Amino acid sequence: MNDSMSIPHLIMSASTVVQLVMLLLTVGSIASWIVIFQRTFVMRRAKRAHLAFEERFWSGVDLNELYRETPSEQETNGAEHVFRAGFREFNRLLPKTRSPQAILDGVQRSMRVAWSREEERLNLHLVFLATVASASPYIGLFGTVWGIMGSFQSLSMAQQATLATVAPWIAEALIATAMGLFAAIPAVIFYNRLSSESGKLLGKYEDFAEEFHSILHRNLQGRGDSDAG
Amino acid sequence: MARHDSRVGYGLPTLLAVGLHVLVVVMSVISLPSREPEATSSSVVQATLVSTETTTDQALRAEEARARAAQRQADEEAAAAEAEAAAEAERQQVEEEAAQRQAEQQAEREAQQQAREQERREAEAEAQRRAEEAEQQARLREEQEAAAEAEQQREAEAAERQRQAEEARRQAEQEAEAERQRQVEQQAEQEAERQREEESRRQAEQEAEAEAERQREEEARRQAEQEAEAERQRQAEEEARRQAEQEAEAERQRQEAARAAAEAASDIDSLIAGEQESIANARQAEQAANSFQNLVRNAVEQAWIIPAGSASGLEATLQLDLLPTGELIGARIVSSSGDGAFDRSVIQAVERASPFREMRQLPPAAQSQFRQFNLRFRPGDVR
Repeated sequence: MNDSMSIPHLIMSASTVVQLVMLLLTVGSIASWIVIFQRTFVMRRAKRAHLAFEERFWSGVDLNELYRETPSEQETNGAEHVFRAGFREFNRLLPKTRSPQAILDGVQRSMRVAWSREEERLNLHLVFLATVASASPYIGLFGTVWGIMGSFQSLSMAQQATLATVAPWIAEALIATAMGLFAAIPAVIFYNRLSSESGKLLGKYEDFAEEFHSILHRNLQGRGDSDAG
Repeated sequence: MARHDSRVGYGLPTLLAVGLHVLVVVMSVISLPSREPEATSSSVVQATLVSTETTTDQALRAEEARARAAQRQADEEAAAAEAEAAAEAERQQVEEEAAQRQAEQQAEREAQQQAREQERREAEAEAQRRAEEAEQQARLREEQEAAAEAEQQREAEAAERQRQAEEARRQAEQEAEAERQRQVEQQAEQEAERQREEESRRQAEQEAEAEAERQREEEARRQAEQEAEAERQRQAEEEARRQAEQEAEAERQRQEAARAAAEAASDIDSLIAGEQESIANARQAEQAANSFQNLVRNAVEQAWIIPAGSASGLEATLQLDLLPTGELIGARIVSSSGDGAFDRSVIQAVERASPFREMRQLPPAAQSQFRQFNLRFRPGDVR
């Protein structure tokens, strides 16, 4: 392998379109890796926070105390956010209506809103990963096709078409496909992994919401009974 | 609370992502050069085996170069011969063409001469015909005039007879005289007329003759011109032929010079090739000697079954006598190990390993060196 076939030399001697394609793919790859790292950290922290909150929630602490302990709405996330939204709605509705069904409906609605906010937060930028995963092979292929077109155009000028005259062009063109795959493969893998993780977390939030809902329901039943009695 | 500070910024992920890409690029740039020396070093390890082949290759190449030079010479000679043959063929062609052209010109000239003669003959015939016609016309005219004269005479005689009848005898003499005079005059006139006719005939003849002469002169001139032209053409052809010959000669000389230069160059080449060959041969002999020794040792070691009970410190030296073909004539123990079984095993190993066919590939100098040589056996070498 001589100097003219080294990868940096090939990239530098490529045509403008191929170089642009390579630049685009490099930017896409870097951005997708930023998203991958960021989402991984977010998921890990959300998982850890969820575990800690569940532990605290089921430790038998008083719900009012727990509500007071948690910080304001904007800084909570995950199951804590769901709990806060539901409990606040419950406390607000409790003095206003006597119908337990109305209170439970309101609580459920507010918890669903909080859950959907959480879903949005967890799935942030995952669409970008999906886009990179699906589009970058095509972009790389475009660069390759363009480069091979150029190579054949230059080949038409040459007297003799040996492998040595074609090889650098095709190697240079194939680098674009390689870069597209290099960007796409991690994006695909981490998109699947991150979306499954977020789905799992959202399922846990939903479970928690249902459980909390059942607790509030139980409390209201008792209150309704005491009111009735 | 620190536990709730779960908002993840983009600074660290960006750093990580860029770092990853830089790492990948550095790996792709650095790992490729580092792989190359390994590959070359692995080939260096096999150099001892390969080297004999390369030296034989050099000799082969030198031979090939010589063969190629010889072929080139042959080619050149063939080319020169071809060129000569072609030049000769060309010359012959030129000559043939010239001959053909000459023949054609001669034929043309003859045809022209014939045509000219025919023309001359025709012209003469026409002139004769014209003269005859003129004569005939003149004769006709004479006859007509004679007839007219006769009529006139007859009329004149009738008139005279009438006048004679009228004036009878008075004017007979006068009239006769006058008539005589008139007749004389008429005769003179006729004669003058005849003379004129004759003159005109003569003139016509002269004109015809002059015309014929002019034609003849023109033909002569034309002939002369044609001859001159033919002469000129012949001279030009000769010159062209001479030029072609000179060119062919020059070409031949040039080719000979080129051949001489090529021969000189090939001489130098062959000298260089010979030197290279001798150097290569010497190197090859040395390398082959080393490699042959190694080969024999390896072959014998592989064929050597060391007796099970032999001590580790044993050592035996063996003298081998080989034919140039590599066959073993004899193997003697020069210095015994003191263990008979060990000595026997050594001799058996050599016999099993023979013949050493690689001997044939050795250069003659190395062959004589290896006709008889010693091998020392130590079990430690094998184990």
